[in-house]
Amino acid sequence: MPFKRFDQNRPFLTLALVALAWLLIPTAVKSWGRASFFELTAPVTLAVSRVRDLQDFWALRLRSKTELIEAGRDLARLNSSYELAVQQNLELQAEIARLEGVLRLPSYTEYRYEHARVARRDFSGWWQRIVIRKGRNFGIPVGAPVVFTGGVVGRVTEVHATTSIVELITSQTVKVAGVVEGDTRPLSFQGGVNPTFAPPTGIVEFVPLDIIVGPNSPKRLVTSGFGGVFPPGLTLGTIVRVEPGSDGLFKSGTVRLDERLGSLTEVTVLVPVGQP
Amino acid sequence: MGPRASSAGERSDSLVESHKGYDPRIILFYFLLAALLAVLAGGLAYRQLANVGKYADAERQQNQRRVLFPGPRGNIYDRNGQLLVGNNHRFAVLLHLDELKTELIAEQSRIRRNFVAAVDKKDVPGSSQLRQIARVTLVQRYLDQVNQILGRDEKVNAAELGRHFDRQLLLPYTLVDDLSGGDFARLIESLPVRSPLEVYASNIRQYPFNGAAAHTLGYVRPDSEVEADGFPGEDLTTFKMKGTSGRDGLEKMFDAQLQGEAGGRIYRVDPTGFKINPPLESRSPKQGKHLVTSLDIDLQLVAEQAIGDQIGAAIAIDVPTGEVLVLASMPNYNLNDWYPRMLPETYRKIQERGAEFNYAVNGRFPPGSTYKILTSIAGLRAGVLKPDESIIYCDSVLRRFNGRFVCYNGREHHQEILLPEAIAQSCDIYYYEAGWRTTPERLAAESRRFHLDVPTGIEVPERGKSIIPDPEWKLRERGEKWFPGDTANMSIGQGFVWVSPLQMACFTASVARNEVYTQPTLLHDPDRPRQRHEAIGLTPDQRKALLDGMEGCVTHGTAKTINAIAELRIPGVNILGKTGTAQIPGKRNVAWFIAFAPRENPQIAMAVALEGDTPGEEYGGGRNAAPIAAAVMKRFFEKRANPGRTIIAPVRSE
Repeated sequence: MPFKRFDQNRPFLTLALVALAWLLIPTAVKSWGRASFFELTAPVTLAVSRVRDLQDFWALRLRSKTELIEAGRDLARLNSSYELAVQQNLELQAEIARLEGVLRLPSYTEYRYEHARVARRDFSGWWQRIVIRKGRNFGIPVGAPVVFTGGVVGRVTEVHATTSIVELITSQTVKVAGVVEGDTRPLSFQGGVNPTFAPPTGIVEFVPLDIIVGPNSPKRLVTSGFGGVFPPGLTLGTIVRVEPGSDGLFKSGTVRLDERLGSLTEVTVLVPVGQP
Repeated sequence: MGPRASSAGERSDSLVESHKGYDPRIILFYFLLAALLAVLAGGLAYRQLANVGKYADAERQQNQRRVLFPGPRGNIYDRNGQLLVGNNHRFAVLLHLDELKTELIAEQSRIRRNFVAAVDKKDVPGSSQLRQIARVTLVQRYLDQVNQILGRDEKVNAAELGRHFDRQLLLPYTLVDDLSGGDFARLIESLPVRSPLEVYASNIRQYPFNGAAAHTLGYVRPDSEVEADGFPGEDLTTFKMKGTSGRDGLEKMFDAQLQGEAGGRIYRVDPTGFKINPPLESRSPKQGKHLVTSLDIDLQLVAEQAIGDQIGAAIAIDVPTGEVLVLASMPNYNLNDWYPRMLPETYRKIQERGAEFNYAVNGRFPPGSTYKILTSIAGLRAGVLKPDESIIYCDSVLRRFNGRFVCYNGREHHQEILLPEAIAQSCDIYYYEAGWRTTPERLAAESRRFHLDVPTGIEVPERGKSIIPDPEWKLRERGEKWFPGDTANMSIGQGFVWVSPLQMACFTASVARNEVYTQPTLLHDPDRPRQRHEAIGLTPDQRKALLDGMEGCVTHGTAKTINAIAELRIPGVNILGKTGTAQIPGKRNVAWFIAFAPRENPQIAMAVALEGDTPGEEYGGGRNAAPIAAAVMKRFFEKRANPGRTIIAPVRSE
């Protein structure tokens, strides 16, 4: 009888032993274990991502030639507009360099661009993050800003050998110093409470009282560049509503974020030049 | 069985206990036990039912803490909606000490282990010392995070931190104050969101026009007496974040209205005083009421710039309503110097310049020849002066009562002179005679009728005492007899007569409305009705003579300067005024000018008083004071002609 009783309690005993062992294991070992686990599972994540790419590739192969020709034409047009934009940017950069020289201003931080495919997306009430297919192997540092065509994606929070985890700006744990487009006073942007399938939103605080936002006059929120992490002028979202705070000093409000943040496939990591 | 055996068997039986029915002796114990149980039950009921409120209160007071934080003060605007006093933010980094409990315990253990490993066990500090070391070490670690982000090298003040821990644990501790916008941005992006560090915007008073109307607006100082009316928990241990209270000017007089409604939170705390979230009660603070003053900052700036480096005051009053448009006192000081704290060196300089003193409201000076308007009214009402009758021949010196009375304004002899010209030329000898004819009692009575002897009742602190003398006053205050010379002095606003520039402005507004009283106010009401008080009581001829004299003063009399200078001339508007130069023996002269305009339906009344630089200096009302009034009036009528709203750019602090 005692043996039978022990057999019944064995799961609980095992659980207790594991919990005790977890408590007693040094933090360094735990961290190592966690990182190792991630590195071990990373190939699976990458494989799944590449299989998905292959799936997309074969799906595209099924398209008709007419569709491909139309897509090629659209792409050519897009490329030509981008080429024009690149030329304009070069001119602007030359002008900025000239003005910096004349005014003896410090240069903006320069970045190296690392384009990366999105391997996995995790959206939950707890976190909003993506796993990208580049890591230490491409010199991506922790804290690097991540952008896409619609503006800011988020920041790199963890870097592994071949993958990195990017915390999205839809997450409550991300804060960015932004400015209302055309204004110079910094304010605070933070991700909001974003359920899985809801349109992403953020909250904005420390909005100066003279910033007027209405349903018909939303304001574009961009990065300030003062915070030292994000370069200036990147789109964060659109401020759609503000209301006076109880302190009488600032307003706070809601920012509508780009819905494409939920279906990202390709992002760009801005790696500050000079950092590994 | 023999008897012996029988008795042994009985004894054997008696050793076996047997219970049959009720033992009467045990019933007593039943009652006793029941009584004891009843006492226990009663005690329990008494404590749990009858005293439930008392113990609940005790538990509440022991386990709950109340935190109050002040609401932002209301703004102060000028009559056109221009912000004069507002609130500005000051970014700071706060550390929520009450979230550090676990870290503190771990830090304390770590420090103790280090001590044990490094020194003899008996040299290990006591628990209170270890606690203090752990507090400083941990807080410095958080401060170093901030230092690293901002590139600073701030250090924790151990004594201050200890006091904060012991007395204000539930209030956040300010690590770094007065951050720039760039610092704010860097911290926002670099501090972990779930850190006990918080970037916070505190509230300070902001004065967009720096020193403009400094004495009128006043300032505030930190005040820990924050009250949250209607917020529960008055009996709980309460922590209060510092608020502010008005210490001077409108900030002081309207402190109750400007004060915001304090917000508060009630937390449950653990036995060591650390709070347990979420709060049991919470109320957001609300901003105080806004104040719309009657001041016109545009005119105020014109007046202050016109006075410049001189010492004195300029007041302008809206004649129909008594609303004060300008209340300038110079020298002034930058109100923003009070925030976040006044530096001793700055305050010393303010005191050296005498910039704290409100000359407009609290300055008391002899009114000089501006008082002749009152002497004229008193004489006309007494019937001793007539508009068309000369009362004396001015030969620049008058010998009377065994004395020699000089006409200080008579470098040219005024000769036979009528009242209008006596006002325009400010003939002293005419007014000596007028004063003697009127008598000092009548002059004093007329002055009191115009409320020159009492505070004006304006809504800023009014200190100092005006003097309207008469023989009785001199005997009472000085124990001396009144002489004819005293009357002569009084009739030209010299001697014992002392009034404030604001009182003279009110007097001028009263004369403009042909009434004896003007209640000045600093509050703007667009629907404020015209003031109506007792009429002066002059006949139309008498009033015409009085006004002719005041107009003549500006057109060709002692204030003709403002008519001669093209920049000061106001096309289509007649200014009526009276100059004055008060000579204070041994002290500096005071240049006066009172004026109103236009003659028909007067709109603005002014008084300007300037102290000379050096004793005995020639400092005249017409030359020094009148141009200031003219500049303000010119701007006033320009604005009337172009009523579009003028937005004045605030002065930017360097």
